This record gives sequence, C-alpha cells and structure tokens, in this order.
Amino acid sequence: MEIKNKIKIAIIGAGRMGITHYSIINSHPDVMIDAVAEPSGLILNMIKKYLPVKTFKDFNELFDKMTPDAILVCTPPNLHYAIIQKAIEKGIHVFAEKPFTADLNEAKELTSIYSRSHLVNQVGYVNRFNDVFSKVKEFIDNEVIGKLVRFKSEMFSCTITKAGESPGWRSSRLNGGGATFEMASHAIDLVNYLIGKPDKVTGSALNFLYSENVEDAVSSTFLYKSGMSGTIYINWSDPSYRKPTNKIEIFGDGGRMLADQHSLKIFMNRTNEKYGLTQGWNTIYITDIFKPVPFYVRGNEFTRQLYHFIDCIMGKEHTNKCSFADGLNTHEIISDIFNDYEKNGRLK
Amino acid sequence: MMGKIDKIVFGDNQFFGINHMSQEKAQQLAEQFFDISNIYRIYNIAIDAGVNGIMLNSNDRARDICDFFRSDPARYKHLNWYPSIPYPYKYANLVAEKGIIPAINEVLFRDNNASGVANLIFKGGLALLSKDAIKMMQMLIDTEMKIFRGLNVKVVFLQNIITDLMLGYDVRTVFEEYCQYIRKKYKALPGLITQNMPWLLGKLKEWGINEVVICTSFNKIGYLMSPDVKSYIEAASRNDPENFQLMAMSTLASGAIPAKEAYDFINSQNLQSVVFGASSAVHIRETTKLIRI
Repeated sequence: MEIKNKIKIAIIGAGRMGITHYSIINSHPDVMIDAVAEPSGLILNMIKKYLPVKTFKDFNELFDKMTPDAILVCTPPNLHYAIIQKAIEKGIHVFAEKPFTADLNEAKELTSIYSRSHLVNQVGYVNRFNDVFSKVKEFIDNEVIGKLVRFKSEMFSCTITKAGESPGWRSSRLNGGGATFEMASHAIDLVNYLIGKPDKVTGSALNFLYSENVEDAVSSTFLYKSGMSGTIYINWSDPSYRKPTNKIEIFGDGGRMLADQHSLKIFMNRTNEKYGLTQGWNTIYITDIFKPVPFYVRGNEFTRQLYHFIDCIMGKEHTNKCSFADGLNTHEIISDIFNDYEKNGRLK
Repeated sequence: MMGKIDKIVFGDNQFFGINHMSQEKAQQLAEQFFDISNIYRIYNIAIDAGVNGIMLNSNDRARDICDFFRSDPARYKHLNWYPSIPYPYKYANLVAEKGIIPAINEVLFRDNNASGVANLIFKGGLALLSKDAIKMMQMLIDTEMKIFRGLNVKVVFLQNIITDLMLGYDVRTVFEEYCQYIRKKYKALPGLITQNMPWLLGKLKEWGINEVVICTSFNKIGYLMSPDVKSYIEAASRNDPENFQLMAMSTLASGAIPAKEAYDFINSQNLQSVVFGASSAVHIRETTKLIRI
C-alpha cells in the first residue's frame, strides 16, 4: 500500500502497553505510526533517537499539530477521558486500553458520543480475542452445555508481593489503580462477554495485603434475573502464580466447562456429535484450536485485537468485538462492586 | 566461519513450571521441581544420555543451578552453555508495579550494588543512560550474564519477548549492537529467540547482520509459528546454515504431537539444532534417539 493511503496512527502513552502495541501495530502492512506522545523525557528521548516518528511531551500539542486517523490510548486510565474528548472533536478512531476510564460518568459520556458517531471505538479487553475463550463463547452461544446455571471467574498473579513503594497511578483508585480496575476488570469483562452482564452485584469483599490505598484482592457475587448466579475472585498478590492466569468455570444443565487461556475441559451430560464432544470429560488444548497471527509479540490475542481494530477502520469488519459500550458495561459492574463493599462489605 | 552449535541442546522450561498448552501440567511440573535436587537429577540423566549443550534462562533459580555445575568441573566442564536472557517475568512484574524507568533503575542499580561502574553512572542518573540506550542494554546484559560466569558459553540468546518486540520496532541498530556486544564481550555467538522466524530472517538479511543463531518454535502443526508453518519450512529450506544456524524449539508443540511423528518432521527439515525439555528419564532417552538432524 502507498504511504499516503496507510492508516496513520498516534500512540498516546509509551508505557508497558504503549510499547507493546507499537511493536504489534507497526507490523501491519496498512498502518503507519506517525507520532507518539509521552510525558517521560527519558522514554521520549529514546523514541526520538531510534524511531522514525514525531514525538510530543503533551498529547494536547499532538492534537494541535496533527490529526491522525486513529489513536491508541495507553496512558494511565485517569487521562483517557481528556484524550478521547480531543479525539472526538477531531473525528479520530480510538483504541483505549482497559480500564476504559477511571470515572463512570466519563465512560458514559464517551460511550454515548462515540455510539452516535461512525468512528471505531474499542477497549483493550484482550481475553475476547483469546483462542480458548473464543471457543467457550462459541459453545455457550450454541448451548453446548445447555442452559447456564452457575459460574466462577477468577484471576491470579504475583504482581504485588511486598509492602512499601508503590508510586505512580497504580496506587490510587481515583486514577484507575488497584486490583479491581487493573485485574478484576478482565475477569468481569469475560463474564459480561461470555455469559452476560449481571443484574445485581452483592457480597463484595476487598482485601488489603500490601498496597496502602488500593485493594490487592477482590471477590463478589453476581446475580441474574434469570436465576443464574456466579462469583468472581481476583488476587494480584499470590506468589504461587508465575504469570497472570484467568480461569473460568461454567455449570449448565447439560454439562460443565473449565477454561483458562490455554485449555478447555468439558464434562458433557450427553454426547454432542455436532461439536465432536462425547459424554463425560473432553479436553481441548490451545494447540487444537489456535489460529496463527501474522506477527507475534505477546500472545495471539494481542495481535488479533489490534488487527481487528484496523479491520474495523478499513470496513472489513462491521461490529467491533469490544466497543466503548462493552467497556462501559464492565465499568458499571466495577462501580457496583465498590458501592456494595462500602455499603455492606466493610464491617465496623 | 561461524562455530558449530550442538545438534541437541537440553532446555529448561520443564523445570520452571512452563507449559504452553496447559496450566495444569505447568502446575504439576512446578511442584515436581520445587525441590532443586530433582532438577539436578534430570540434568544428570540428560548428560548421561549424551547431551552436551544446556539452555538456561537467567531466572531466579539459574544461579543455584550454575553453582551446581561449577562445583564439579571434572564432571561438567565439557558442557556448552546456551543462556537465554533476560528473565522476562522479573521485568514484567517490576514494570507492572513501578513503571518502566523505575524498573530498569531497580534492576541496574539495586541488583548491582557491588558494581562501581553502576554507582558511577548512577551519579549521572538514568537521564544520561537513556540518551544511550545501547549502553543501557549492555549493562542489562552484563547484569543477567553474571549468573553464568565461568561456564563455557557458546551462544547468548535474547528471549523472544524482547527479540519480537524489537523486531516490530524495525530498528537495525539494536540488533547490530546486541550481536556485536555478545561476540566481543562474551566471545560467544549471538542468538535470537523468535516466534516470527521468517520475518526475522528476512530483516537480518536486509540489515546485513550475519552469523547469528536463531532459535524458534518449529513443529508440524504450526504452533507458536507466525505467520504459518509453510513460511517456516520455506525459510528454513532456503537458509544457508553457514550464515544462520537454526535451532528448533517447541518441537512437540507442548505435547500435542507424539514424539516419533514430531521428529520425523523435524529430521526432514533444514535445521541445525533442536532444544528440547523433558522431565523423565524415558522421555530424555527417547528424544535423544529420535533427533537425527
């Protein structure tokens, strides 16, 4: 593709996700990264020295001087709102890292504006692009384990395993930090995506192990008008997990599924010939169902999510798999958990 | 001319609870090898089966493992070492907790307390270093490589998370400087682990970077091989091993392919080496017999 026809992208925030997304999206043949905005002089210096892009210390300056076709928002969550507002004014497609924003009302406003526009809007809940969870979704949508009754969504990591220093935005909930915003958001989004948004949140508990101002573990119960219910439990201070692990267990009246990012086990009450599942236990490994990606940096799902964003911009896909509206749904549940904990979970 | 690497190299994923296919299997392995003497026992079985090369990641337990091998030179001096750096989760967790710059700061300046050089540079601060990312990279390499001091290092591999991240950035200098530094400072061959082998090979040729060892997933089902298995077979068949030696990893696709079938495929490819991991004597002996490249 000629350079002038390429989709011009700016990356706002060159932290952990910003630098990963840069590498992945730069591999796309129809994309050109035009600019990076990053307040850290140290990182900006390196980008300036080695990469062929315009650099800005302040995102406002970037928007004043140029209009990219799309932006990847990878800043701390409390800055997302101001950045995306600018993008709306200029008619720019937006991919925003999760959590969508740090404030529920801001999430509502952005969702409402973007839903009315023709602009592509996506939030980075990457599990929606994982091979195993996509399979689970296919099975649920086709009632492979019958009518859903009960579920459990869990996530563990060893991110915070000692007390003390936790500078930066991650140590404040107002800025979008803490185990709920940062990690539970993935487990909650997975519930919303696979099973549906809960009608009521109850029995929420937060645990404070090492962090001073934010929770290190969170659990909650989700209720549905249909009678279905489930729980979530997320802990980012568990050293027995070497890397972040998502697990989901779903019980239906036709069987039970246990899934993580790498494998899926299904107990079937009866044989299902269409899906090649026999009565009793069936195991599906990621090696049975993976679909390769053109360029791999950090798992197929990371590439697939950004290529999906580009496909939506190019009109090759018409429905975004994780729009602002989806991000808002997850944010609403997070907000319900905090409210429930303040009202009912904190014992005097 | 590039020195020849071992045809069979014994890997370490099995010891550290890594299994790409199943977290349950990974958990089992982590429990089995929690007692480090079980790790040494497996190494001895591999060495008795004829393995001469060992690939080891610079993770938390590598220091003890290297001490073990250094402690008995009569028995282990002949081994060739294939370190892979860095230990990605150390950085991932630090970066998640503190941010990129404080994480680098901690690794360089806190893990390096004894080093006078580090203290000196600390005076200029990270600001100085960031102007020279290459110098920073060299210091990070030295920090990781301390673990392997005194061992016979044949190749120093850069982990795929770093190689592939840098490959996406499309910056020649970083690759050039890495390879040069490994040759000069460690008198070893530069190695790159990747999950985008055809892409990387194309880029190295374009940049004129030669005599590199490339370690990459290689299995008949195309698992962890981007963009696809066909491109891998083509790239390997066109490759000149005098210029780039190819080492296959994930040959069994984390156990999805039976060993016989997996190595029938591997043996028919233009590959110079295989790195494999196994956690039992039976599998180690079986694999060393099956690899005929």
